[in-house]
Amino acid sequence: MRKIRAAAVSFLNAWPLTAGLEGSERVELVLAEPSRCAAMLEAGEVDLALVSVAALTKGEYEIVPGIAIGADGPVQTVVLAGEQSPAIWDEVFLDTASRTSHVLAKLVLDGMGVHPKFTPAPALEGLARAKGTKGALVIGDRAFDVRASHVLDLGREWTHLTGLPMIFALWMARPGTVSPADVQELTRAAQHGLGIRTELARKFAAQKGGDPEKYRRYLTRRIRYGFGPYELQGLEAFLERAAAKGFLPKIQVRFVDDRAPAVRPRRAVSLDTALQKGADGERLDADEAERLDAEASLLDLGVAADLRRRALHPGRRVTYIVSRNVNYTNVCTTACHFCAFYRPRGHAEAYVLSREELARKIDETVALGGIELLLQGGLHPDLGVEWYEDLFRWVKAKWPVINLHALSPEEIWHIARTSDLSLDATIDRLVAAGLDSIPGGGAEILDDEVRRRIAPLKSSTDEWLTVMEAAHRKGLRSTATMMFGVGEEPRHRVNHLLRLRDLQDRTGGFTAFTCWPFQPANTRLAPGDGSAQAYLRTNAVSRLVLDNVPNLQASWVTMGGGVAQAALHMGCNDFGQVMIEENVVSAAGTTFRMDSEEVERHIRDAGFEPARRNMKYELLEGARA
Amino acid sequence: MTISTLAHRALERDGLGPIRDKVLAGERISDDDALKLFEVADLAALGALANHVREARHGDLTFYNRNVHLNPTNVCVASCKFCSFARKDDQRASDGYTMSLDEAVEKVLSRRPLGITEVHIVSGLHPDLPFEYYTELLSRIRKAWPELAIKAFTAIELNFFAEKFGMTYEQVIRRLMDAGLDTIPGGGAEIFAPRVRRKVCDDKATAEQWLEIHRTAHRLGVKTNATMLYGHIERLDERIDHMRRLRALQDETHGFQVFIPLAFHPEHNMIGKAFPKPTGYDGLRTLAVARLYLDNFDHIKAYWVALGERLVQTALAFGVDDLDGTVLEERIYHMAGSTVPQALSERTLHQLIRAAGRVPAERDSLYRVLKVHEAPVPKMTA
Repeated sequence: MRKIRAAAVSFLNAWPLTAGLEGSERVELVLAEPSRCAAMLEAGEVDLALVSVAALTKGEYEIVPGIAIGADGPVQTVVLAGEQSPAIWDEVFLDTASRTSHVLAKLVLDGMGVHPKFTPAPALEGLARAKGTKGALVIGDRAFDVRASHVLDLGREWTHLTGLPMIFALWMARPGTVSPADVQELTRAAQHGLGIRTELARKFAAQKGGDPEKYRRYLTRRIRYGFGPYELQGLEAFLERAAAKGFLPKIQVRFVDDRAPAVRPRRAVSLDTALQKGADGERLDADEAERLDAEASLLDLGVAADLRRRALHPGRRVTYIVSRNVNYTNVCTTACHFCAFYRPRGHAEAYVLSREELARKIDETVALGGIELLLQGGLHPDLGVEWYEDLFRWVKAKWPVINLHALSPEEIWHIARTSDLSLDATIDRLVAAGLDSIPGGGAEILDDEVRRRIAPLKSSTDEWLTVMEAAHRKGLRSTATMMFGVGEEPRHRVNHLLRLRDLQDRTGGFTAFTCWPFQPANTRLAPGDGSAQAYLRTNAVSRLVLDNVPNLQASWVTMGGGVAQAALHMGCNDFGQVMIEENVVSAAGTTFRMDSEEVERHIRDAGFEPARRNMKYELLEGARA
Repeated sequence: MTISTLAHRALERDGLGPIRDKVLAGERISDDDALKLFEVADLAALGALANHVREARHGDLTFYNRNVHLNPTNVCVASCKFCSFARKDDQRASDGYTMSLDEAVEKVLSRRPLGITEVHIVSGLHPDLPFEYYTELLSRIRKAWPELAIKAFTAIELNFFAEKFGMTYEQVIRRLMDAGLDTIPGGGAEIFAPRVRRKVCDDKATAEQWLEIHRTAHRLGVKTNATMLYGHIERLDERIDHMRRLRALQDETHGFQVFIPLAFHPEHNMIGKAFPKPTGYDGLRTLAVARLYLDNFDHIKAYWVALGERLVQTALAFGVDDLDGTVLEERIYHMAGSTVPQALSERTLHQLIRAAGRVPAERDSLYRVLKVHEAPVPKMTA
């Protein structure tokens, strides 16, 4: 196999994207100065390069999706510096290294109504000449050490000006040279590199000097590597403004096609046999599960899953829980392509809930008979483990009745990384502070082929499972989820279910599973697989494959009460939550609401007896709406 | 269209073996059978049975048409307690309206570029409009757009015309046929049982009148639809009684094209507070039982405006073969709190049908297939 050649700069902020490419079987990495990287890409000496966005003007390059080097606030390594306020500058020396930063400096100064003369000069020389009414642009690692009376961080200024993230660099490929498998490799490398940022910071400090903690904070809290909808908006805003001012020509943004074709040959299995095995609680193998997922009819699956449900839960009891979903922050650095909820840190709609708001929500929950707080949020770069510990202790002290069902595996990894703790230590500290159980969110599709395409910078399948396994071993229970309909194949959904089943065999820690289709923003009907029938099918397949997970929840929040009632007859034994709010789903346009009376009416009407439960599926005596 | 081994197992367990045997043999099921199906609380097995009948009749074809609604007035002398649409007069204060003929005709004609094939006209029972308003409305539409099918006036309106203008049902229908009437919609049937009618629509045409009007229309060669408004105060045996009367008339005339159970919508009317909207489960079992009980009806329709897109898509596995149409300008359900869109594009309908593994088929007002839209991708069985 021919390796593709990739050029990249050796700046610290590129390390997390390139470190994982060392020894890669698909990608040969060449390190060079920024201008040399761009030149090699233009000349065809390399197939792709990690270069600053202005290089997009040099050819019809395709962007590798999902990964970027950007910031949504202070970036520290792109600054304007001078003795006097920039408002009175009449000349600015531009470091010769980066055209993108030149344009950014011009746009920011233009936004401030300042229009100095721009003179090219090497960084150190420019800085030396930045006296009086003169300023200098300094970029790269040397900007860490700039000492001047006036320093303008251009990342912060851009976000202040536009409310959007600033994208500095991207992997850009010559058209047709990079395959979906190569994109997967680049994404794998990025996931790997982001997981070892602390180590990279230490290594960098050892090589170049300086404080490793400063570098670690820079890599974990300043630079963001996700490239989702807001980052695309940020990139487009930058290109449009630059074109409008004549700083750059107009550019059309294009992406590398990253959809991999299906491959695995399947063993021929009988649909009828697979259905009967599933209904009788016999273990299905991957081929059988895949055949069911791909080909069995809704009603055949439904009847089989209902038989299985009746065996596991004889009688007509259907449980539900009264709990409140609280999304403590919508700030997130992961930039998943499917998410309509997250905002970059500097965005006008970004929030972190105050204690007053939280107290009001929890008081309301308790007043409504709620016993659980489902606390999840974005990956906020400024929140370390102490913030969560304080929060949990406060909740537990004030409302001892509340079960803290909090923090998806993604958030736990994030806390470990921003606080430089091991996974075990992070979980131990959170549990000591009051964490009771872990929600199964962020699983999406537990197959890296899909995961890397829809959520490139989210934890990998192994990482997600590692958190769950560690938590289970410490005695915590958790739930498991699957969000399907993101363009995956049946084999990906089956892989997801089999990975969960394997872990459940080892730990028995999952109390329940729930699935729902991806909900596209602002459309009433999900395209293709995001339909009610696809939901019911997937739910039924899950009941048959997950033979060791006791409970299946119907997702009325995403599908509506009627379809959820049908799910009770096709594998589910639980009606989920009376949910007092759910921001993430409603941000994507779905707004089904039910109170406990309405939940019970739906359960009864469908022929079942409602009963309230807690997170461990223990029934609550006498608790009825 | 076979029933799987597991479905047989479930049906036997539920004690539905004898009913299944009748269905598979093409025999008629009894009222008691229908009640048992309503009460069995095994939706998957019930669906398997209803789906068998649906696929035996239509395979995967799922019908829809391109239609527009016209409600010329909402002023109504009746006082049905489930209605959110009617107003007592057309004063601005009461939010009532009556379209001029020009306005009403123009509203329909303006839809011409959209490839509409049917207009569905229903109104309030207006105390003052002359009969000529209605005949004129139909003849002007017919003249300006000859190929557009006109489905107009529920039996309640036709009964009102007969009483107010001193004509027989036959005279009313003939006059309207002369003006351009093609078919008659199924509205106003509500629940036939007198107990229910007394309570929710006391001053409306009786069950006997409703059925007599449809009988008359069928005799005159006019095809009609039949509805049932479920999910308010009626009991299950009253739903079955309702379907029994329809099945009996259909045996006599074969003039009904389709049966349409309509979910009661509770907002802005007099009984909504006491009766919440029926659940989706109730909708699915009602459709499935209707498919099994009404063995002489060709089509069972799930009206997406009343049930929502997700539920009607699910219903395609529970005996339903018709989803109504694109439905431009729906007012009646929206005034009762429906939050579905005002219209669905043909593309959205196709997507909804295909994602359920079915094949969309555009039909005309008389259920003749205009075009089968074969799936562009390999289908997934439903």
